[in-house]
Amino acid sequence: MEGDGNEIDAERYEEGESVTDILRDRFRLSTISIAETQARKLGMQMSEPIIACISELAFKYTAHLAKDLQLFAQHANRKCVNTEDVILAAHRNEHVASTLRSFYDDLKAKEPQSERKRKKASKNKDKATTSAVHFPDL
Amino acid sequence: MEDETFDPDLIHAIFKHIWTKRSLERDRNEGNDALDSEVGAGTSKKNRPTSANAHALKLSCELLRVFIAEAVGRAATLAEAEGVSKIEATHLERILPQLLLDF
Repeated sequence: MEGDGNEIDAERYEEGESVTDILRDRFRLSTISIAETQARKLGMQMSEPIIACISELAFKYTAHLAKDLQLFAQHANRKCVNTEDVILAAHRNEHVASTLRSFYDDLKAKEPQSERKRKKASKNKDKATTSAVHFPDL
Repeated sequence: MEDETFDPDLIHAIFKHIWTKRSLERDRNEGNDALDSEVGAGTSKKNRPTSANAHALKLSCELLRVFIAEAVGRAATLAEAEGVSKIEATHLERILPQLLLDF
């Protein structure tokens, strides 16, 4: 029985490991494309092991970031990670923090406006329909 | 054309994976330390699964993209100063400490 339990534990462990591996591989692919785009922009070549190093580094950084974000959200008695948490995670470097903030402002500017536009459009439609309704009366 | 960046879903999956791993670890530790049951009760409320909103994920993607772009950029500057057109391990080694301090 004990042996069975251990085997199941081991399987679970391996499963967890394989999930990590899949995620790490997908992450690595993204990293490679980002790094190569950046290198091309700068007119530089990169040796393969360096790209692997950078992706490993970024993956570890992601793990740290996940932990930080969770702790920040918990500290604020939230269970949902906020944009403020992400900006707080980058507070050590003011430049990065301000970059993120402006990126967030861009995001906000893009999305709610379209909603507002939609609302305005629907209001206009309402007006149009009401006016259309009123027309026969006139 | 927009820059290459991460897929927010991928980052979300990685975050979730790490969060569940952490909560599992915490559970195990709480199981072991029966003496800390009071502390455990305090944290069990916080054990609810963490999630992240869409904007936060996009910001995380941007932060990671900047991290990689900075790593490549700084190493490239160093390589350029040496007059080489290929980034090698030594360049990354030399920019690494400051890079890690900056993020």
